[in-house]
Amino acid sequence: MEEQQPVSGGAEALLHLSPGSSISLAYHPLFGPHDDLIFLDLDEKILPDVLHGRVVLRGQPDEDAVLCTTSKTYSIKFVGTSNSVFLVPPNQSEYHQPPQESDSHNHHDQKAVASVIKLVPGNMELVEVAPRLDKLKSLLSENPYTCDELEVENLDGHRESRTGLYNWNDLVDHIQASDEEIRSGLKALSAVEINGHWRLVDESYMRNILRMLLHNLVLNDWSLNALNEVDVVNILESDGFPRVLAKHCLQVFGERVNDYVWKLDDKRVCVEFAREILGGGKKKLESFMDEWTQKIPDGMQPSFDLLEGEVLTERVGVETWIHAFSVSSLPSTPAERFSILFQERKKWDWKDLEPYIRDLSVPGLSSEALLLKYTRRTQPTPDAEPVFSAR
Amino acid sequence: MQIRMKCNCGEGNCSEWAIVDVQGVVEAQPSFQDRLQNLEIGVLCRPSSQEVYTLTIGYHELTGSKVPLKKPILVLKKTKQSGVDSDRENNCNVELHVVGVIRQRILFKTRPKALISKAKVEAKETQKSTI
Repeated sequence: MEEQQPVSGGAEALLHLSPGSSISLAYHPLFGPHDDLIFLDLDEKILPDVLHGRVVLRGQPDEDAVLCTTSKTYSIKFVGTSNSVFLVPPNQSEYHQPPQESDSHNHHDQKAVASVIKLVPGNMELVEVAPRLDKLKSLLSENPYTCDELEVENLDGHRESRTGLYNWNDLVDHIQASDEEIRSGLKALSAVEINGHWRLVDESYMRNILRMLLHNLVLNDWSLNALNEVDVVNILESDGFPRVLAKHCLQVFGERVNDYVWKLDDKRVCVEFAREILGGGKKKLESFMDEWTQKIPDGMQPSFDLLEGEVLTERVGVETWIHAFSVSSLPSTPAERFSILFQERKKWDWKDLEPYIRDLSVPGLSSEALLLKYTRRTQPTPDAEPVFSAR
Repeated sequence: MQIRMKCNCGEGNCSEWAIVDVQGVVEAQPSFQDRLQNLEIGVLCRPSSQEVYTLTIGYHELTGSKVPLKKPILVLKKTKQSGVDSDRENNCNVELHVVGVIRQRILFKTRPKALISKAKVEAKETQKSTI
């Protein structure tokens, strides 16, 4: 390819200059600021995503835009350069101009020309970041699904006009996270798609469905580990619950065994009843345990370990009190998370703290680095358990 | 809102753009300052089969080399669509199109050497190096 030197060489001629030859570097006839050109420094591994159109920029006008692939989120920062970076487009680009030799004073000299269209002021660089999902919860909390809605729906079909409802396209417009991250965020929030809108379901309503499911389980002598989806959904529907929510109940409190069969998840069911009991405020540990054990369906073992990241206990004199403190209610950015944790308690044992920071993920930062950044670690004696307090 | 990054070239066919990276600032003489279009900056020469290049700007010569970039740089073009054929209801209709990729640059990172003896008559540029 080196022998076919075009007279008006673009980037090709510049990059494939044959040994012993030269090319004139000149300002392009259309040289200018060309501010519509943007330069994006890109990891080779994201390149296929971009070339196949799987990359999107997301953000509201008042937010710093992020770049999302299908599974990851990146913040974008501009890095300027003090060098003079001459940009030469290739011949087949829209900036291509036929050679204009006539006005050159070097007329005899058939030298190839590489034309500089603009000076590159700098590049945009990407830094992988945690998805910004806290907004997802606040959006979906605007209008949770409650049992009232069922009655309204039966009366008239004008449910679309109500505010605070978001479909998938609304969510990707508002949430700075990749599609996959938004999906797993919706799952973590136990959101469900109802009539095209993603909704949170009122907790007490969800609990009613669960209670009815467990009730039916006893009546029909079903097994906790082998619930037939069709049977469950049909029976809950006959009890007055919408099919979509009956199925959602299995998704929230169960685990799919195969296409037709679900099993209930001990932890999620037990946690739900613990939340219910502690919803009214703190309780003495003994009375909590009594109440909890009674509520839990036969065949499930109420173990206190199931409640890690959900409750905290404190000793007051000789008594131990327990109260709800759920990790899922805490913000997902480390600074805000630690601030709330240290409002809750001045000092944390590692055993208590770990469930509340396990899910924090900051690309490029290990959990040790997070602890180092946001906590002060003290260890009274070398054998003692370390204690973490605010920095 | 969302801005989708579009690419018409497909993988492997993205046209390659080039950059020539020079430390400091190249200044045209005052009489040319406002009409740089078509003005010659200098002559880029590859003296041997090595990837070593010289760039002669006026009375000055720079020596550099062609180096692959650690990460490719995408050249994106921002367009504002005014038509109704946009696929979503974004009111501003901004689109980003991938128009090229930069994978290597010709980098001159040394200070210029003066070419007093073989001065050219029609030198149009001076190079000022910032330190």
